[in-house]
Amino acid sequence: MAEIGDIANEFIRDEIDEFLEKENERNHIVELFAQTRPLLQDIAAALIDGAHEEVDGLTQQALSEGIEALEIMDDGLIAGMGIVGIKFRDNFIFVPEVLACARAMKAGMAHIEPILSDSGVEPVGTVVMGTVKGDLHDIGKNLCIMMLRGAGFVVHDLGVDTSEDEFIEAIEEHGAKLLGMSALLTTTMPNMGKTIEAFIDEDLRDDIKIMVGGAPVTPEFAEDMGADGYGKDALSCVELAKELLSE
Amino acid sequence: MNIPTTDQPFIVVGENIHTTRVLSRRGKLIAKDAAGLESIRFRDVDNNRRLLAIPEATRKTQDYEEGRVKHLKIAVGQAMADNRDAFDYIARQVQRQEQAGADFLDLNVDEISIRIEEQQETMRWLVDAVHDMSNLPLSIDSSNSEILRAGLERCADHTARPLLNSASLERLDGLDLAREFNAQVVITAAGESGMPADVEERVEHALRMVEAADQRSIPLADLFIDPLIFPVSVDGAYGQHALGAIEQLRARLGSEVHITGGFSNVSFGLPCRQLINDVFLLLAVEAGADSAILDPTASSIVDVFSNDRTAAPYALAEDVLMGRDEYCTRFIRAYRKGELTP
Repeated sequence: MAEIGDIANEFIRDEIDEFLEKENERNHIVELFAQTRPLLQDIAAALIDGAHEEVDGLTQQALSEGIEALEIMDDGLIAGMGIVGIKFRDNFIFVPEVLACARAMKAGMAHIEPILSDSGVEPVGTVVMGTVKGDLHDIGKNLCIMMLRGAGFVVHDLGVDTSEDEFIEAIEEHGAKLLGMSALLTTTMPNMGKTIEAFIDEDLRDDIKIMVGGAPVTPEFAEDMGADGYGKDALSCVELAKELLSE
Repeated sequence: MNIPTTDQPFIVVGENIHTTRVLSRRGKLIAKDAAGLESIRFRDVDNNRRLLAIPEATRKTQDYEEGRVKHLKIAVGQAMADNRDAFDYIARQVQRQEQAGADFLDLNVDEISIRIEEQQETMRWLVDAVHDMSNLPLSIDSSNSEILRAGLERCADHTARPLLNSASLERLDGLDLAREFNAQVVITAAGESGMPADVEERVEHALRMVEAADQRSIPLADLFIDPLIFPVSVDGAYGQHALGAIEQLRARLGSEVHITGGFSNVSFGLPCRQLINDVFLLLAVEAGADSAILDPTASSIVDVFSNDRTAAPYALAEDVLMGRDEYCTRFIRAYRKGELTP
């Protein structure tokens, strides 16, 4: 088993020491970074620090040194974002700090994405997202989309007040396997259930996974109306999306 | 209550009789009862120490397991099932809002259920119950017109005129309800098909709502414009969007109309929310707001104006709110160093 001392980057070691409280998570991340090239550790560290210019420069450097784009994304950018997600979940950092990290992620992905798509590497996943019918509140949904894109997902954003038909058409048009719906109002939340029923009626429900979120939504409600998962914030949305697509 | 600098009335829509309200399970208001079950501590209106039991169904939810206790949802649900503790819990909340200077008591039951009939029934019950506890006018708050109607119908035999919260371009029927029930009305700057993106859209939407109210013969003095306040943690420009709209609307519409807002939304996602809320309230009043939808037990307009504006925490919060602190970096750094609290 790897030790924390096997990690070259001091910033990453300090982050693990200070913020990773759950033993299984800590072990997993130590294991991961111990096997990571030092330059990619530097990218992860810069991302955690929200230093977008540094991530931009280091990503270009890594590519020019011949490191594969996919490896830079997985072991540098996504690995760094993993620590950010844990820190946010455990209330060590605040929303603006996560957004600064997302900006850094985007700076790195700007170099990675064209290479991946040119070489025919499939995106992590394709997601259709929208707020449900009658609901105009999109701040939370937009944060989810930003984080999903940062993590390498292709997201088709249907905006606000999305009808059942619009969701269905978009899923078919883009061949997406994942649908994300959000609602901020208790009074519009039932439209998530109605949309799910519409997918059942069209015989499309089994082709896709459906995730839901928004202030009044609870895991119990998500289950009741037949969603596959519930995410309580933008970072758990990314985790959930990965989990649902790997099932 | 009056605004200290101008001595003009400041209208507080007391926002705590809400089924969305959350207590932290780790907080000091959660205690074990004699049987060892977690309960909510409170004092009743006669200042006796009491406990409100948390129902088993609530204790099983993930919300609860993760530490969030929706105390008013519990209280309202239990009080309707004839639980005396729950009824007294609500009475205490009402008393606290009233003593802290609320001019309206805002009632929102949207989260009690997802079934419209249950939401309506709860609203009717709560309006009657709160009318028995207080003479303050009520603010009937819902995102659904049928729930608004249910509440307003029960206000009809009461002398105090209610406030309807809220109508907007996407829900113009709210204005018809306000007219039908002779209610004052909160009009928001939401558009027909989306939230306003900047100052201009807020002003345009609000002016169209004012016009729609005028067409229904609702006088300017019965309108409370809510420019919609979004969290500055998400976008540093959001504070100025609301403040700019308040300033322009006041300049264009004169002194008769009320300008209000759910100002505490501005601090979502940040530490030291109370500091940010207080500074934002001050800036909003200076921009022309004469009302707020807030919890008066947490924010007082008098205290807000006695803020030391030369102090470092004030300046840091103002920078966040005016978009001068990108990603709130300096504010959060000061918070971590313990520089924001005295």
